[in-house]
Amino acid sequence: MVDSYLGIFGLLSDAGPVVLFVLSVLLSFSIVSWAIIAYKFTYVRKSLSESRAFLDYFFEIYNVDKVFVESEKYRKGSLPRVFRSGYVEYHALGDKADIRQLRVRIARAVNREANAESKRLSSLVPFLATVGNTAPFIGLFGTVWGIMTSFHNIGKAQSSSLAAVAPGISEALIATAAGLAAAIPAVMAYNYFTHQIGIIERDLEEFSPEFVAAFINEP
Amino acid sequence: MEKGQKRIDAEKNFSLWLVAAALMHAVVIFLAIYLQILDANRIVKPKIVSVSIVSLPGSGGSFEVSAKGGRESAPAPEAPHPAGSKKSVGVKEALPELAPVTPKKEAKPVTPKKETKPVKIKEKVPEAAPAPPKKVAVAPLPAKAKPKAVDKPADITKTLERLKQNVDKKMASSPSTSAGSLNNALARLQQKVQSEGHPVSTGSGSGKGSSSGGRSGAGKGYGGGGPSAPYQAEIASIIMQNWEFSKLLLKNSYGMEVYVRINILANGTINKIVFDKKASSEYLNNSVKKALEKSSPLPVLPKQEGTGDVWIGFVFTPEGIEK
Repeated sequence: MVDSYLGIFGLLSDAGPVVLFVLSVLLSFSIVSWAIIAYKFTYVRKSLSESRAFLDYFFEIYNVDKVFVESEKYRKGSLPRVFRSGYVEYHALGDKADIRQLRVRIARAVNREANAESKRLSSLVPFLATVGNTAPFIGLFGTVWGIMTSFHNIGKAQSSSLAAVAPGISEALIATAAGLAAAIPAVMAYNYFTHQIGIIERDLEEFSPEFVAAFINEP
Repeated sequence: MEKGQKRIDAEKNFSLWLVAAALMHAVVIFLAIYLQILDANRIVKPKIVSVSIVSLPGSGGSFEVSAKGGRESAPAPEAPHPAGSKKSVGVKEALPELAPVTPKKEAKPVTPKKETKPVKIKEKVPEAAPAPPKKVAVAPLPAKAKPKAVDKPADITKTLERLKQNVDKKMASSPSTSAGSLNNALARLQQKVQSEGHPVSTGSGSGKGSSSGGRSGAGKGYGGGGPSAPYQAEIASIIMQNWEFSKLLLKNSYGMEVYVRINILANGTINKIVFDKKASSEYLNNSVKKALEKSSPLPVLPKQEGTGDVWIGFVFTPEGIEK
């Protein structure tokens, strides 16, 4: 009676250990995927918006000291971070180095921070790709296993009636459904994040020389 | 130092999202289960309320069997009810006596009518005339009863109680007339049986008109009476084995009943399949038909059933076969 109330979920009570294990793996995949999606979404959105605001201010003022003070407001933006690392290097060298050496050192510091920022942006994102690629197969494995067990039981019961076959197959197909439910958002989020991170990385590549030039040309 | 702090902050942030995601999944799963339960409850509670059959003391169904099957049923202890002695109207005959006592309202839910349904389905001889299947058809009766049941379910129980009281009063007040009517009915029955040329054999039968009626008179165009209970049980189990049906495929199992009669020849072949009432699901109807076709030939009729054919009725529901 309770099973009939629970519908599809009621079938899980009869599921075998392998199917249950597959379902728990998929559930944990889904939980982690959604956590990454939420975390990365806020991170990337903030990085993009703060970078844009910082760039507007940078091209408006073009005074590195003022820009540095302003960049403190944008602590989560990628471009402000890169600029700050260049500024720190620029101030560390002071008047000790000549212009050529100064350019090289600042450029190196900016590139290093740009790389670090790129890594930070793309961290955890490959997990989404992994879930997107493997979850359907894991679900399929659970389904195949469930159907195997179901047919085995049918053979034991020596009955090929629909009543004997249908519940087992229905129960097994839950695994595929769970796999797809975990994979679809992961794939969509992966595509979104790779696109957004690509935009930020292009900005970093494009504006890093601008920052270096701004430090060198500073009177 | 600053970078380490940033990393810790980031990890903390991610852990928070992880917890939030886990909670979100829990909520989604609970919502899904809750909606399933809600949906199931909505299906379980139909708008039409089925009226349960109340058995009054001493149903006259057995006389139907005795009339056809050539066996007399043991008289029921209550006098007025066995008065129904004609085959399909056994109970109806008893009612006219009650009619003056009971008001019109109460006459509608008279339950003995319903009680006779399964007996008719199982044991009625349909070849005699096209009329019997009409009597057998049970769909119109619940249809009439249902609207009342929906409107005033409490009234029905009250009405039934009043009816019972009236019957009891009637029985108490005029035992002689009841006994007289019983005797008259028995006399009429005997005359009828003799005029039809059936052997009147004595035998035991239940007061409720069970299917353990006797054999039919062969060669008169009549089918057999109800076959023996073990034989019925045997063929029911065979049909059940051949019935390929999953109630999971029915969205709503309420009111899914198929009343079907089968004509079995002496060699066990199913000669005819008659649907007295079909379910709204074609899947259920087809599955029943296929199961019956697949089950043919059934085991040979027992010797005591004679050489003629017999009609047996079944009620198929998603839960199984009700004989």
